[in-house]
Amino acid sequence: MSATMTPNVNTPGDFQAKDYKSDLKPIWCPGCGDYSVVQGIYRALAAIGRPPHEIAFISGIGCSSRIPGYTTAYGFNTVHGRALPIAQGIKLANPDLLVLAAGGDGDGFSIGGGHIAHLIRRNIDITYIVMDNQIYGLTKGQLSPTSQKGRTTCTSPHGSLENPVNPLLYVLAYGAGFVAQASPTDLVGMAAIIEEAIRYPGFAFVNIQSPCVTYGEEAQQIKGLKAISETLESLGHDPSDRLAAMNLAQNYGTKLNLGVFYRNPEPAPTYDGLVRERQAQLSQGAPSKERILDLFIKK
Amino acid sequence: MRKDLVFGMAGSGGDGIVSAGDSLLQAASAEGYHGVMTKSFGSQIRGGESSCRVRISTDPVLNPGGNLDVAVALNWEDFLKFGAELPVAGTTVVIYEAATGVPENQIPLVGVTPLQVIAVPIAEMAKTHAGTERAKNTVVLGLIAGWFGIGAVAVMKGISKKLAKKSQELVAANQKAFDAGMAFAKEHPLKADMTILPLEDKGGVKLLTDGNDMCAAAAIFAGCQFFGGYPITPSTEIMQFFTNHVWKYGGAVLQAEDEIAGIGAAVGASFAGKKAMTATSGPGLSLKSEMMGLASIAELPLVIVDVQRGGPSTGLPTKTEQSDLFAAAFSAHGDVIRPVLAPTSVADTFRTTIEAFNIAEYYQTPVIILSDQEIASRKETLDPIDTTQFKIIDRLRPTGADLQDYKRFKQTENHISPISHPGMLGGTYLASGIEHVESGAPTNSGSVHARMNDKRTKKFDPLKERRDLFEITGNPDAPLALVAWGSVAGVCREALQMAREQGLDVKLMVPYLLYPVAEQTYRDFFASVQKGLVVEQSHLAQTFKVLRMHLDLPKGLQSLARSGANPFLPGEIVAALHHLLAELQRSHEGKLQPQE
Ligand SMILES: Cc1ncc(C[n+]2csc(CCOP(=O)(O)OP(=O)(O)O)c2C)c(N)n1
Ligand code: SF4
Repeated sequence: MSATMTPNVNTPGDFQAKDYKSDLKPIWCPGCGDYSVVQGIYRALAAIGRPPHEIAFISGIGCSSRIPGYTTAYGFNTVHGRALPIAQGIKLANPDLLVLAAGGDGDGFSIGGGHIAHLIRRNIDITYIVMDNQIYGLTKGQLSPTSQKGRTTCTSPHGSLENPVNPLLYVLAYGAGFVAQASPTDLVGMAAIIEEAIRYPGFAFVNIQSPCVTYGEEAQQIKGLKAISETLESLGHDPSDRLAAMNLAQNYGTKLNLGVFYRNPEPAPTYDGLVRERQAQLSQGAPSKERILDLFIKK
Repeated sequence: MRKDLVFGMAGSGGDGIVSAGDSLLQAASAEGYHGVMTKSFGSQIRGGESSCRVRISTDPVLNPGGNLDVAVALNWEDFLKFGAELPVAGTTVVIYEAATGVPENQIPLVGVTPLQVIAVPIAEMAKTHAGTERAKNTVVLGLIAGWFGIGAVAVMKGISKKLAKKSQELVAANQKAFDAGMAFAKEHPLKADMTILPLEDKGGVKLLTDGNDMCAAAAIFAGCQFFGGYPITPSTEIMQFFTNHVWKYGGAVLQAEDEIAGIGAAVGASFAGKKAMTATSGPGLSLKSEMMGLASIAELPLVIVDVQRGGPSTGLPTKTEQSDLFAAAFSAHGDVIRPVLAPTSVADTFRTTIEAFNIAEYYQTPVIILSDQEIASRKETLDPIDTTQFKIIDRLRPTGADLQDYKRFKQTENHISPISHPGMLGGTYLASGIEHVESGAPTNSGSVHARMNDKRTKKFDPLKERRDLFEITGNPDAPLALVAWGSVAGVCREALQMAREQGLDVKLMVPYLLYPVAEQTYRDFFASVQKGLVVEQSHLAQTFKVLRMHLDLPKGLQSLARSGANPFLPGEIVAALHHLLAELQRSHEGKLQPQE
């Protein structure tokens, strides 16, 4: 741990949203939903107040994965689908850091789809934000794992034959402790959800419907999203009820339910926390590492 | 009396052959001898055939030896499955289980007449004396103690220590089996004296371990604090060692869901400022290649161990080969240099691993350690290592001045830029696999890309100048030469000794740094060479080809290459050298021109 760290100290007010905005100019298409996601992230981070140098922001590859570069945190724009393995290495190497991961639906649920289950199973304290535009943006409009069946794209010119992944059900089924959905149609609500996800002690997942104005369908643009939005609060949903959350998650693709689907009222121990405990336990009375070869002495 | 004995034993999975070999080596080392043990299995987990080869010597040993002095077959069918891995010759004493019923004159060893063949009712003796056939391996140890003079006391000491926790009865039963073996040996003397020379100097405390454990221990010694990996034979023990010990030193281990996640976590840990490592074998190395490229362009230190086994694909998972050199050096897209190092024995796995961390940290790069199944799983006795002689290098961190206007990928004179990590105030930057300018900001510019490629490749120039990563033995001006690395180097060291004793003027180069190719070091070595051999266990002669790709080789330099897993024998290499010498003499007489 570096001497400059101030772990777990919340100093709201010390930082403002603009303190998390980097000098890099986003190169997203004008009107892309990701512009608003990054705004939500600035606001959430300001509310939490951790200084940027104590934050590690990791992404894969895709339009959405460019997001770490637009913040003043330590960023790592890695390879397609692998943000989560890298993020967990960072968290295990230094549990004092605030670790955020982000990317697209292709990145997270196609090429990287196998990793989420294991992050959830280990319950590593990382917040994972997926900008779900139901299309591959960066590679110019191919079918994504969340595209609706029948959708025509450049790789499904006669209509997709595949059923989509339901990201919410997917993570709920694996046992994630915090699952929420947000939309750029409600910036304030999105920022609050991201903030809550970051504060949750354990793996937290936020799905954000982030419109692709270039390859997206009309129904997924802001107007369309507004039409299908409905807050979980207005439905009287109890976020401590996982089964109810799974029920509501079935609406994915037809309704845009906004808010916290599930928040474990008794957060489970995190892997990174357990690592610390084990280190403390086993280091007691351990020989110095200079004497490690003693293990091999046969008398 | 003998200074050196090579035992080869084979049987079925339940015969306890490997544990007998283990006990023999432990006993020998307790008595002060040097030794090496290698084991080999069929690829099934239990019930298949297994073998081990134990070499015991009064002097330090460099390899598991050539033809067997003693062959122990608990079962002929299993023994013969190991073919050239357990070569029986005219000098071998063959001991076999009488119950397998092969008449002495029909021992199925094609084309060889062993020195002596002895049928022993091993199973029956175990049953009679210990009450169970499971004591067969103890009978064998008794036979060895009686005939060859190793372990008369130490074997039972070791066994008692191991079994004492279980029951005193078991210890007593084993003692009886052991004594029966000793007595049988006394009653049936060998035709020749094959006892090992007693030691005057017991040699003090020795270390006894295998290459995988040594590698992990060295990594922890070098300051490694994170291991991410996925189990694969024959590398898994490295992860196991970490899970046992690294926590004590503030580190952590992740058994990931696959190799990609394993190396990914290690890349993350390195980005977070910690020394990190992953280990795998061929198929896993293939999966890791995209991440290795990422670590190269993001200039992150990382050590990747590849314990080679026979390939391609799942190939020969339990046996050794040297056929991952191309993959280690070249499996990446784009223009990139990735240092590759190889240890030649358990002992120098310590040094090589520390070196790998030092190079990774200094040059901010992934480094591959190309170990192989034989080094990784063979046990060696070794003299204590003076750990104070090792320098540990850490990555260059930015100081206050650097952090004023911090540029992570700053172009410096030696192309190495101070590297910050999350938590460091003033050091925030964007790391990426995308091409970037000095600050880390992404770029599409061809000229920046060219400059950055230049930075990332030129930084390795000093590495190629390091002569201490090469071992040259023999007369430096010799006209004959050998080049070999990894476990094959040990065989060549012994071949060199034999060849010199036979009057051949020959030298040997053992590179520990395989890539980047240190052109000038090889040029200097080859200056006096008229004939030579690059010896390797690779069907495609990968080492020979990598050298040829980087420099003009002497015309008389040839490749002696073959697939694993059958080991090279020192005698065969010496014979090839004699052949080269004869060619050389003929060409000097003008009868034969050097090959074009
Ligand atoms: C191993 C690998 N395969 C394929 C690609 C090409 N690729 C880059 S981004 C991407 C998909 C992007 O879609 P998504 O993750 O949904 O993000 P978006 O661009 O829509 O935000 C693909 C296929 C790659 N970079 N690496
Ligand atoms: S292609 Fe779509 S997702 Fe990518 S930047 Fe443009 S609008 Fe955004």
